[in-house]
Amino acid sequence: MTESASQSALSTAQPEDFFQLLKPRVMSVVIFTAVVGLVVAGGDLDWLSAAIAILCIAVGAGAAGALNMALEGETDALMRRTRGRPVAAGRVNKNDAMTFGVILSVFSVMLLGMATNWLAGGLLLMTILYYAVFYTLLLKRRTPQNIVIGGAAGAFPPVIGWAAATGEAPWPAWLLFAIIFLWTPPHSWALALYSAGDYARAGIPMMPVARGAKSTRLQILIYSLVFVPVAVAPGLLGLGGVLYLAVSILGGLGFLFLAFRLWRSRAGDQPDKAEAVGREAALYDVRAEAKPARNLFAFSILYLMALFAALLVESITALPGLS
Amino acid sequence: MTLRRLTPEELSARSKRNLAIAGALVGFIVLVFAVTVLNLKRNIDARKDAIAAGAPVEYAR
Repeated sequence: MTESASQSALSTAQPEDFFQLLKPRVMSVVIFTAVVGLVVAGGDLDWLSAAIAILCIAVGAGAAGALNMALEGETDALMRRTRGRPVAAGRVNKNDAMTFGVILSVFSVMLLGMATNWLAGGLLLMTILYYAVFYTLLLKRRTPQNIVIGGAAGAFPPVIGWAAATGEAPWPAWLLFAIIFLWTPPHSWALALYSAGDYARAGIPMMPVARGAKSTRLQILIYSLVFVPVAVAPGLLGLGGVLYLAVSILGGLGFLFLAFRLWRSRAGDQPDKAEAVGREAALYDVRAEAKPARNLFAFSILYLMALFAALLVESITALPGLS
Repeated sequence: MTLRRLTPEELSARSKRNLAIAGALVGFIVLVFAVTVLNLKRNIDARKDAIAAGAPVEYAR
């Protein structure tokens, strides 16, 4: 059939647009941290169930991203960093994105529960609701602490991975949660320092918009001072080994150095001059005064990945036959 | 009610979306089948172990 019963245009959205709704870059971090949680936990989960669990966690995180984009389309269109997203750019209808997110949420939670256990399924459901409803609808526009509280959503994947592998969520899983939770504010605020103009235009009270750059730089330093010891803790408490301890301490010192340098800088004092120019790829292309913020933002990603990679390497090499 | 002819772009996009949905559905069916087989196997193994140990038969967790 080549005729439509409606005058309204049929969507020309491509499958790639729907894939972009899943926030693939965020999803890759979710997959990585969930894999680490699952592997470090041990347990007797077979490889097929483990693979299905990781797929479900990834799709569930993607579904939360799709719901976020559906709910935030108008706001995203006001920000240079996000205006190319499928809903903001008008390539995908808001209702289609919402339906897509809801269907993927239901299927991923159900399948994870069936394949592993319902603690993992319940945690995934809670994560999706936390991000899509609690953070996006309730927190984001109401408080400059949005990213602090909302950051918990990004911290759940290793706990879900752990629960999928063992059916439990003991304290080491929550230690991994705490690492990501405390990492999120300095990471996000460093980015916000050089894209504050975008957030102000969109009416989002990110810390640099609501409290100013100076206060944000101080809070980044304070959070860094809390975060780094927590990042080192798995090495001291037996969850990580010598490799982890070395990576966490050396990287932690680098993190603190960059946070201190950012605190001493004037990054974000002139947000319109400091922000990235135009393209999303220009996140790393900022003016001189904002470089300390850009450097901390970039290093924070590297540090988090290195911490989890160290845990993963130590867990894998401790497996029978590889040590 | 007015009918209008769909543009080639709309038709092409719809075909691609339909193929993607079909692929996702087939993938989902395969996954559910695999999970079902795995759960059956776990329960059969648990049943055998319980019987061998003289313990009450329960579902595997």
